[in-house]
Amino acid sequence: MGIKSAKKKRFITNTAVHISLGILAAVWVFPILWVILTSFRAEKGSYVSTFFPREYTLDNYIRLFTDTSILNFPKMFVNTLIIAVCSCILATFYTLAVSYCLSRLKFRLRKPYMNMAMILGLFPSFMSMIAVYFILKALGLTEGNLIRVALILCYSGGAGLGFQIAKGFFDTIPVAVDEAAILDGCTRWQIFTKITLPLSKPIIVYTVLTAFMAPWLDFIFAKVICRANSDQYTVAIGLWKMLEKEYIDSWYTSFAAGAVLISIPIAILFLCMQRYYVDGVSGAVKG
Amino acid sequence: MRKRAAALCMTAVLAVTGLAGCGGETDGDKESVRLMVWSPSEDQSKDSGEWLQNTCEDFAKIHPEWDITFVYGVADEATAATQVAQDPEASADVFMYANDTLTTMTDANALAKFGGKYREEIEATNSEEVLASLVKEENLYGVPFTTNTWFMYYDKSVFSEEDIKNLDTMLEKGSIAFPFTNSWYLPAFYIGNGCTLFGDGTQEDKGVDFGGENAVEVTEYLVDLAANPNFKIDADGSGLAGLRDGSISAIFSGSWDANAVSEALGENMGVAALPTYTLNGEEKQMMSYAGSKAIGVNPYSKNMVPAVELAVYLGSAEAQLSHYKLRNVIPCNTELLKEAEIAEDPLVMAQNDTFNYTSILQPFVAKMNNCWIPVENMGKGIRNKSVTHDNAKEQTESMNEAMNSDGI
Repeated sequence: MGIKSAKKKRFITNTAVHISLGILAAVWVFPILWVILTSFRAEKGSYVSTFFPREYTLDNYIRLFTDTSILNFPKMFVNTLIIAVCSCILATFYTLAVSYCLSRLKFRLRKPYMNMAMILGLFPSFMSMIAVYFILKALGLTEGNLIRVALILCYSGGAGLGFQIAKGFFDTIPVAVDEAAILDGCTRWQIFTKITLPLSKPIIVYTVLTAFMAPWLDFIFAKVICRANSDQYTVAIGLWKMLEKEYIDSWYTSFAAGAVLISIPIAILFLCMQRYYVDGVSGAVKG
Repeated sequence: MRKRAAALCMTAVLAVTGLAGCGGETDGDKESVRLMVWSPSEDQSKDSGEWLQNTCEDFAKIHPEWDITFVYGVADEATAATQVAQDPEASADVFMYANDTLTTMTDANALAKFGGKYREEIEATNSEEVLASLVKEENLYGVPFTTNTWFMYYDKSVFSEEDIKNLDTMLEKGSIAFPFTNSWYLPAFYIGNGCTLFGDGTQEDKGVDFGGENAVEVTEYLVDLAANPNFKIDADGSGLAGLRDGSISAIFSGSWDANAVSEALGENMGVAALPTYTLNGEEKQMMSYAGSKAIGVNPYSKNMVPAVELAVYLGSAEAQLSHYKLRNVIPCNTELLKEAEIAEDPLVMAQNDTFNYTSILQPFVAKMNNCWIPVENMGKGIRNKSVTHDNAKEQTESMNEAMNSDGI
């Protein structure tokens, strides 16, 4: 009797939990599902009275890549990809290098630097937007193809301040390993590249992911720096343009298609690296 | 915030503006000139005939004394002002802007004045209403190339020529969508019953008069209007969607929706200036906000004379004609409007009738910024039924108060 009622109780709790989780999941997935459905919608315009499209089509996707006269989506996609990949590589290196130094090297300004980074991190980055623009302009980086360089600098320049998680991870690697390496005649750089990094796959993956997503999704800096140079627009600006009064009626469904497309690279990165991601955030060396 | 930072920089680096040219190096007997031109991307796209490039090249041909290199950039009329005001020195020499952004640029000292023979030329070919939209403190700030306002699209199979004169008659015959919660549209009813904004639109100290008995009457009318089953509130493109599926027979919008409407209605597409509405038995004319789009010149341009000449050329009758043919941009040049080909286009007629007879010039004084949100809230309040006949008076008064206050 007692066992039965405990089982029954558990069954009821589980059901309740699953139902509420199901509802939450539905609520969470709903907007994404809606965007995906809209991207396949054949009816034009920004307003629909039904949740499911009346007809389905691939034209919205095709249009993104063929109708390049007003909004050149392929070009924007390539621009964004170049910028995101370059700043991802730079930012990952900066973050890991800074974290390693702060975790392993003992120098006088270590504590002040960490405090400063903490305080600077409290301010929103776009606060410095206009100043950054004028500095880049003074360097002559706000025209033509140099805009890409400017954006890469913007996105990777501040990466050294986001060391906290990676440093926490490096702290968990025993110092004894480093000492052994030093005894064998390793330099600091060799320790970093040959010992620490191979032990830190999870955190590298985590850093790469976050470093890629920031420039990939950023709107504010791109908007301020690109100004009227339409050949340098990134995807975020392009998608924003599609919702302007003049374009929204004919571009709305293509906007949804664009939104789906930009989530694909992130999704792929995430799926490939998901295994490590959890390890990275939980922060421990195994084995 | 951004504007202020830019304005501060401007004052620091400020150079005197004027029409004196200081050209580039001379190359033989030709002066080499670099002109940066910004326009919306449609003006430069192959599909719509590269209007900007062609017109600029024509300009270069009639000015053999200059060896001009054109640099094109993309900035539409609505957002060009923020770009230019942010950093005039790195902005285009010649650009297009919507006149409601005029103060943004004059505040940042980022818009050149037109004077002398240029001003005379512009004044000779434009109506007073259009010119007034570009004049601030007696100075003319641009070459107008089109008007900007909203009017009515309707289904000819539902409404007759006679019906469209009055909104209430129309509502008896078919359903109408109106952007009720958009403060660019809603004031049409208030202005129609004698409410005013900043005196004649330029007298900032006179403030807004959206209170009083006449405004309350309008609010009461609007409460009934929103409750009419044939009256639909147009938001997020629902009006256009309704035209497509036939559930709505008239919408209020501007020339930017012309193609979409003609696709939806085909031969039955009708375009007209704004109708009247019946308020307590009297016919009142709806009055829209109107403005213009113009070509502006950067006061920091290194080649002032060519820049001004180009601006005037881009706004000339020929340029407006090709702009109309290629992109359906409705001309405003008075000579051009007399030509049969253009005068017969119903869209042109509707927009110009609206501009000349059923609109007021949208004020561009700085305090106008306080007028948008209170009106929008009134529209939303009526939609949500929180504004009713019982509290119409106090709600109208509080809208008027909010429009006249500087706070949020």
